[in-house]
Order: sequence, then C-alpha cells, then structure tokens
Amino acid sequence: MLPIARGIYGGLVNITRNSRGALHTASAFRCKAETSTADAESPEADGEDNSSSSAPDPKDRSKVIPVETSMRYLKSAAYKQTYGEDFVWTQYRRNHKGMYAPRKTRKTCIRQNRISTGNPCPICRDEYLVLDYRNTELLEQFISPHSGDVLSYSKTGLCQKTHLRLMVAVQQARDSGYLTYDVPFREYDYSEYYGQEQKQKA
Amino acid sequence: MHLLKHLRQLNGLQGLRQAIRQVSSAPTKPSALQYERDPQPLFTDAETQRLLQSMTQLNLDRVYRKRTVPDNSSETKFMTNEQLDSEFQDMVVRAQHMLQMPPIVEIKKDVQRVIAKDPALKDFASTKYVFTDITFGRRQSERKVFVRETDGTLEYANLDTIKRMNQLYFPLEGRQSYIPRMFALEELLSKCLTEHKYEFILDRLLVQYEPHEPEFHNISARVFEHLNESKQFDLLRSTRHFGPMAFFYAWHRCIDDLLYDMIRRDYLHNAVELIALSYKVHQIPVEYEATLTELDKLHPTPSQKALAELRSVFRRPEDQQGIEQEINTAIGKTEQDFAADEISLKFIEQYIASEHSLKKVQLELAVQTLKEVNREKLLLFQGLKKAHGVQAS
Repeated sequence: MLPIARGIYGGLVNITRNSRGALHTASAFRCKAETSTADAESPEADGEDNSSSSAPDPKDRSKVIPVETSMRYLKSAAYKQTYGEDFVWTQYRRNHKGMYAPRKTRKTCIRQNRISTGNPCPICRDEYLVLDYRNTELLEQFISPHSGDVLSYSKTGLCQKTHLRLMVAVQQARDSGYLTYDVPFREYDYSEYYGQEQKQKA
Repeated sequence: MHLLKHLRQLNGLQGLRQAIRQVSSAPTKPSALQYERDPQPLFTDAETQRLLQSMTQLNLDRVYRKRTVPDNSSETKFMTNEQLDSEFQDMVVRAQHMLQMPPIVEIKKDVQRVIAKDPALKDFASTKYVFTDITFGRRQSERKVFVRETDGTLEYANLDTIKRMNQLYFPLEGRQSYIPRMFALEELLSKCLTEHKYEFILDRLLVQYEPHEPEFHNISARVFEHLNESKQFDLLRSTRHFGPMAFFYAWHRCIDDLLYDMIRRDYLHNAVELIALSYKVHQIPVEYEATLTELDKLHPTPSQKALAELRSVFRRPEDQQGIEQEINTAIGKTEQDFAADEISLKFIEQYIASEHSLKKVQLELAVQTLKEVNREKLLLFQGLKKAHGVQAS
C-alpha cells in the first residue's frame, strides 16, 4: 500500500511542477503507479498477474526478474528449445534500411518499462536474460575466446544501454572472481627482494 | 513515524556496513601456517632452487597455452633445420623465464622514521603532503617517498603509501588501486577456491600484492592449505607457483599428500626431491645427496627433456635405433628409468619407514601398487626386446 501512495504522491508533485504538460504527466503517472505495484508484488508472489483485466502484455518489462531465476533459466529445457546450442545473439539480425547497418545500434529497446521497438536486442527481447555479475553463463557468451574482450555491439547487436550494462557486469564479475581471465605476467627482479649478497651470487 | 523508520533503516545499513567490514578483513587474517623465521636464505639456496625447478617440471604445452590477451597473433615461417633447432632452444629458455618463481621473503614490518619535527609548520595546510622521487629508471624499492604531516612532522612514508605512490607514477599492469573484491570478501575467495581456480587466484595475487606484504602470505597460505585438502596438485604443475607450494609444504611438514600424488602419477624422482627438500629444510640428518646425484645422472633436467621432445621432429623413421625407440615409447620408460625408479623407491621406502611421514598406510599402498605396475612393465619391456632381437645390456 505504501509504495502506491508514494507513487501517487510523486505523480502529484510532477503535475504541480509542470502544469503545462498535464495530459502527458498524467499518463506517466499511471505507468509509474503500475510499476510500483509490480515492484511491491514481485518479492511476495510471482504467480499473481498485476494486469488482472486482460492477458499479460508481452511488451511489458516492468517486472523485475531475479538473477537466480535467470541462472536457472539458462540451464532449463525452455532455454535449450529457444536457442539450441547457439549463443543468445547468434540468430539475431538487425533491421535497417539499405545495404549497410548504421554504425551504432539503437540507444535503448526499453522505454518506460515497455519494449518500444519491433526488433528488440537479444538481451531485451528475452526478459529472463538478466545481466548480472553472478550470471556467468550468460556473460561468457559475450566474451571473445581469442582476445578475452567483450564482443562489440556491431557483432552482437545489443542496444547501447544494454551493452554498457554488459561491460559493467563483466568487469564486476572479473573483479569478484566469477570470471577468470589471463592475468598479465609479472616479472620479478630478484635483487630487489633478496638484497645485495644475492645479486653477487647470481 | 517516518523519521523513526528512516532511523531504523540507517541503523540497519550501518549494521550491514559493519558486517561487511568484519567479513572483509577475514581473508587477510593471519593463517595458521606462517613462516616463523625468515625463509629467504633457504629458498634462494642454489640446491633448493634446483630441486624446486625439477619438481615443477616443464610442460611446454602448458606454459605456452593459448592466452586470451588482446594480441595473440601467430607467425608462420619457413626454416632450415638449424634455424628450427635454435628456435627450439630459445623457446625452452623463454619457457624457463615464464616459470620464474615469485620470491618468498619475510613480512616486512612498518617502522616510523621521523626526519624532522617542525612545530612551526603546524596547520600550514589541512592535508598531508607526499613527496615522491620520480626519477626514471630507479628501482621501486629504492624510490624515496616522504610525508609532511599536518602537525609539521617530516617522515619517511609507510609501506602502504610507498606502494600507492609507485602505482600512481609507475603503474604495474593489472594491479588495482583498490583491493579487488575477490580478495576483500571472504565468501568470494572461498567460492574461487571451491571452484579450483588456484592458478588464477595466485596469478592475481602476484600482481596485486608485493611478496613482503602480510596479505600475500595469508592468501597464498590459504590457497596452499586448500590445495592440500582438495589434492588437485596437477593444476599447478609446470606453473610458476608449484615451487613455492612445495616449499610451503616442506616447511610446514605436510608433504605427504603431495608425495602421494607424485607417487601415484609415477614422478618418483620428484618424490625423492621433495623428501630431500624437507630433510634439508628441517636439517634432518639423513644422507640424501648421494641418491640425488645418482638420480641426476639418470634423469635429464626438465629443460633438457622438453628440448629432446621438441627435437624429436628431426628424427627420421629409418634410423638405426628405430625399434628400440618404439619399444621405449610403447612402454613409456627406458632402461635408465627403470634403474632410476629402483633407487628412488628405496629412498622413498626409507622415508615412509621413518617417523617423519604421517600417512604411512596410504603411501605404502601407493608404493606397492606402483611396484607391481613397474614389474609388469619391466617384464613386458624385456620380452619385447627379446622378441625384436635387440641386444639386452
């Protein structure tokens, strides 16, 4: 109950702040209220639908999926059926006019907790793919086996926002030891540690 | 009510923060096994180094494994046999360099050394001033760093500040200015350990910490202890960490698991070297040098072995010794190896019978099994030789 109240309060503040775009803010306000209810519900019960009136909207991304669910999903039969042995980005194709794709991918696929495009990027289109530093199985699909770098968005087709999140998750995972990488070789100058008499011996 | 709730939340956060702080100090807490006196003279001793290098072995495939670094391009060349041979020699030398062991030194104590106290300069500035000598080409350990405290004292900087300044002006590739989460949080480190990422942890440890820091000692000790329990020694074989690991076990009298692993994998000369090392470290009056010299005559050093393996591409099929070579490769041992095994088995049994070994039953069983396998191999070897009409010596 409290989050809803807070949402309403926020909406009211918005309306009073810029009374010019009253209609626009009003719609945004409804949206916000909905998200806050979803947020409140998700930890308690997953099965309950927040949009009770009609069938769930396939473009709705307001529900937060926990990482553990995503990790289970990546091991499940449903995932296998969807992607097979491929990476999640292999089968994805960008839509563009003309022969050449624009240099950069789109800025974001999800606006106001809804998919705002007809061809969302490989991560955004499947809501059960959650980018997180613990989700190593997913992160590994975006790391080059040759150079160890994160693959470019020109190859994977991720939207800019998701690509940034991916880079952050990979760095966090490496820092926490979830992902291993080849540490640069450190050469020791023994005389620095063993002092003078050792230098003469060697 | 709201205020109260906020306060409670804040309190909760503080509790969390405290918990994190407590946890974060956990991996760096002193481990049970520490070098109680300076291990450096023993470690740098020429004989110890030779033993450790021999135990490490040299597996070129593992040393030159494919690394995921930004530039790992390869080059294809036509070469004559002489050029190829010199290239092989270079390769072995480079591999030995890659296996350079990290130094084992005492933990350095931080001492405060005041140069001057100038009370007149008190409250001159609200922050400390750090002065660093950034002359090009000076060694890290020789670099002078001073601190002017806010109360006017001029003193030598402490080790932590020196390390930070060195990293600031002459950054070491791969070292973070903060403590990596992997080393800061206990659960992450133990997760890495249970997943057997030993080489990764140790590689990262070398880059992040200096050998004389307490964190270096504590974390490496933890890794070695965990390794001793999980018995995955093969993961570190022919990496630069194997030598320090063996030295650690020898120092703390827990070589038995490693010894068992060596016997089971039929690295008997390594087992002898390990026992010799532990005798040497604890100054146990057992004569081991004679056995070692005998074995050295029969066994090539790891680099010689690797070079011989590389050079086997030059061998022609119609060579004189073709059939003998074939028998050797089929059995996996030569006549010299059998002779060496006999000497080393005698030495190992002597060790097992003594009071220094702790897991006698296990080791004895391993030795018995190995003996039986060896006997069968020897019989087969002799039989094959006779059948092919190779002169038995």
